[in-house]
Amino acid sequence: MKIAKSLFVCAITAALVFFLNQSWNFGTPLPPFSKFLDPFHGFWQNAGDGSSRDVIAAIPGLKSKVTVVYDSALIPHIYAENDDDLFAAQGYITAQNRLWQMEFQTHAAAGRISEIIGEKALDFDRTQRRLGMVFAAENAVAAMDKNPVAKAMVESYTRGINAYIASLSYEQLPIEYKLLGYQPEPWTPVKTGLLLKYMAKTLSTGEKDLEMTNALKLFGKDTLDLIYPDHEGWSDPIVDNTGKWNFKPITLDSVPLALPNELVALQPFEKSPPNVGSNNWAVAGSKTKTGSPILCNDPHLELSLPSIWYIIHLNAPGINCMGASLPGSPNVISGFNDSIAWGVTNAQRDVVDWYKVKFNGRGKDQYESDGQWKATSKKIEVFKVKGKIDFYDTVVYTHHGPAVYDESFHGDGEKNHFAYRWIAHEPSEEALTFYKLNRANSHADYMEALNHFTAPAQNFVFASVSGDIAMRIQGKYPVRRKNEGKFVLDGTRTSQEWQAFIPNEQNVMYKNPERGFVSSANQYPADLTYPYFVTASNWEAYRNRRINEVLAAANNITPQDMMKLQLDNYNLKAAESLPHWLSQLDSMSLQGAEKEAFEKLRSWDYFNSVDSEGASYYEAWLRAILPMVWDEMSESKVALSRPSTYMTIRLLKEKPDLAFFDIKATAEKENARDIIRKSFSEGVAAMEKWKSEKKLNPKWGTFKDAIVGHLLNKMEAFSYHIEHGGNGSAVNAHSRTHGPSWRMVVSLEKAGVQAWGVYPGGQSGNPGSPYYNSLLGLWTNGEYVKFHFANRPENLKGKELSTITLNAE
Amino acid sequence: MKFIIQVLITAAVCFVLQSFLPWWSMAIGAAAVAYVIDNKGGISFLAGLLGVALLWFAMALYIDMSSHAILTAKVNKLLPIPALALTAIVGGLVGGLSALSGALLKSTFSFQK
Repeated sequence: MKIAKSLFVCAITAALVFFLNQSWNFGTPLPPFSKFLDPFHGFWQNAGDGSSRDVIAAIPGLKSKVTVVYDSALIPHIYAENDDDLFAAQGYITAQNRLWQMEFQTHAAAGRISEIIGEKALDFDRTQRRLGMVFAAENAVAAMDKNPVAKAMVESYTRGINAYIASLSYEQLPIEYKLLGYQPEPWTPVKTGLLLKYMAKTLSTGEKDLEMTNALKLFGKDTLDLIYPDHEGWSDPIVDNTGKWNFKPITLDSVPLALPNELVALQPFEKSPPNVGSNNWAVAGSKTKTGSPILCNDPHLELSLPSIWYIIHLNAPGINCMGASLPGSPNVISGFNDSIAWGVTNAQRDVVDWYKVKFNGRGKDQYESDGQWKATSKKIEVFKVKGKIDFYDTVVYTHHGPAVYDESFHGDGEKNHFAYRWIAHEPSEEALTFYKLNRANSHADYMEALNHFTAPAQNFVFASVSGDIAMRIQGKYPVRRKNEGKFVLDGTRTSQEWQAFIPNEQNVMYKNPERGFVSSANQYPADLTYPYFVTASNWEAYRNRRINEVLAAANNITPQDMMKLQLDNYNLKAAESLPHWLSQLDSMSLQGAEKEAFEKLRSWDYFNSVDSEGASYYEAWLRAILPMVWDEMSESKVALSRPSTYMTIRLLKEKPDLAFFDIKATAEKENARDIIRKSFSEGVAAMEKWKSEKKLNPKWGTFKDAIVGHLLNKMEAFSYHIEHGGNGSAVNAHSRTHGPSWRMVVSLEKAGVQAWGVYPGGQSGNPGSPYYNSLLGLWTNGEYVKFHFANRPENLKGKELSTITLNAE
Repeated sequence: MKFIIQVLITAAVCFVLQSFLPWWSMAIGAAAVAYVIDNKGGISFLAGLLGVALLWFAMALYIDMSSHAILTAKVNKLLPIPALALTAIVGGLVGGLSALSGALLKSTFSFQK
């Protein structure tokens, strides 16, 4: 009896130990409890930060000693004797601060999130695999393998990351691994490829070909040209070069493209939101106080923690470069060296097409092309879903690309199969562009570096100590016939395929324009005299004009002036729409809350400053008016895409009797004036509801309710709510979840390059470190970090936090 | 007296074991100490519970204070009760049950002799 009792207690104890040592999922996933709470190895060991201690560590294969000095902002300054050691150290140091993020983002790119968080990520994962993300990354690595410089760079970087991973014991693992109960796997060059393709997906797949095909069928071509014009009518292209395109463009056969005439009833995958964008500009020495050029860049992405960017300083013979890097990719992506500076904004260009394919049967072994049957290839994708049995998906590849949508995925029956043609599937060597930019000394070097860049197409701004400024819109763009790329294409005819690419030297670019500055903000690249048909899912309409207006008027510019412009909250959208909207209201008969709202809006200065209430009322109105105008879009059974806000505002003013202004749900026939009045009442009502629920003043910073969210679904515990000015169409393009993910200002002075930068996060990816959010407060207050751009470790004396010495063993 | 000795020795033995081995080594330590010291089942359970709970609590508190509670404050948002308390409870529960197992095994084997 006693034996049974003691065995029973032992069994209970063993069961408890087992239970507490495992991850569980009872609706919400739970970490292995004891393992997680154990103060000797669990999450407690992630508290604080070891970065303030000097350490000696090893990366196998180093040729010489590498010295890494962390400065007081935890920015690493890496001093190596050669390129291989430099990249190995970059990999090691980045992993030391951002390992979990690097792996999570590449798992996301590769469609492997369901391995970590379970079945709810399966649709996302299938989308990634069906878009051919791994296929694209493998093609990129195959191209890098052919170039000895790129190959050595990626392999050294990989070696550095893996040396760090190999040095980790359980207690040193980033907390997210402990929370979710999994382990890091070795890094590979394909993961670097995946990261670059993930950026390409974020920046170049906002197309709406399926939605536009539906709109064409439902509304007709004339309406389409009215509400989704190729040119929206504003006049500030990035490169203002009217009629001076001195080259002979490639022309295709003149067979006019047949426009599709069908409804596509499938459910498109989730696109990047239109608030992904960026600003960059450079002013010539003639406009600055010091006489040296100043270059600025602020890419707008989803603001997340750990941050998308990691500031790093790379120094070795032939390179002394600093700026923002992407954890998971070698080199600096937006930065400066002793001679030049560069920055990027998204070019928006359409480099994605959907081809309707005809298979020979359910087996999809063959597909039709010019009357012939071609063989498909099939890739079986396995998803190791956490807590479930493996899920299998077969992705069928045609020469266009993978057939993303079919009867098993977001499709409507067996008729509609669409294959995805995406420029990022092609072999490319973007890593080489950044390798060369990091080492560039002149405008000629910059031009050569950009020749290697394929996707995602970017507006590369440039400035040099020698006094040049330049802009080039670089990417690999198919030569398009008019209207090509806006709608789905017929995949059975090769005449509909991409026939040729615009040669690099015919891309939109210029150098040292007379106006003394270059700028880009995701707007149209050139005016209609550019001899190629240019299309995109959306063009930015406001920031670009504000930037140009400010830069054109400014003289004796200082870096502080440029910071002020990056933080400029002027809302041109509101300035162009609000006076008209207010004039349509019957202001004499307004009462109560509506009267109060009217007064706040009328006295508003159009600045989305953090304390402004007018900005909140305008936003509430805008949120009411857009769905009211475009109720036809949201109530449609097939996918449609709302026209731009810019066009909506213009149509309300210029076409007050447009059929779209009639609200479907009402018996009366409304016009623009009715819409403006109704949406005003609705917006004010929404605002009153907000006020009574929150019991707060609707200051813009409060009303916006911005969050910088942790990569794990904005997990509250590791995320921050912030109050900051700006809005999507202000230069300071900070919306609720997106915004300037990196702000950089570089003054290219002959006596030495001066640079400032900041991002909303911190250098450490560890939520237990004081450096997890140490830059977030600065960013929110509009402050910058002045960079210590020291070309020798000795010059950092007094500014260092700690030193890491890396040896071969 | 033997109770206090068991508490202290459990904490000390588990501290050493956990410095080198994974968390479950504490269960073995608490059981072994209980086996050797040979308190009655109920007392052993309490002593194991208290020994490990104190050890885990003290260690966690030390980390919490030296890191200015940056991480504790965040993890508290993930847990139903504060991390410090939960750490002590979970550690104590395993320590107590392990000690009880050790004590019962001892009495089982003594009985057989």
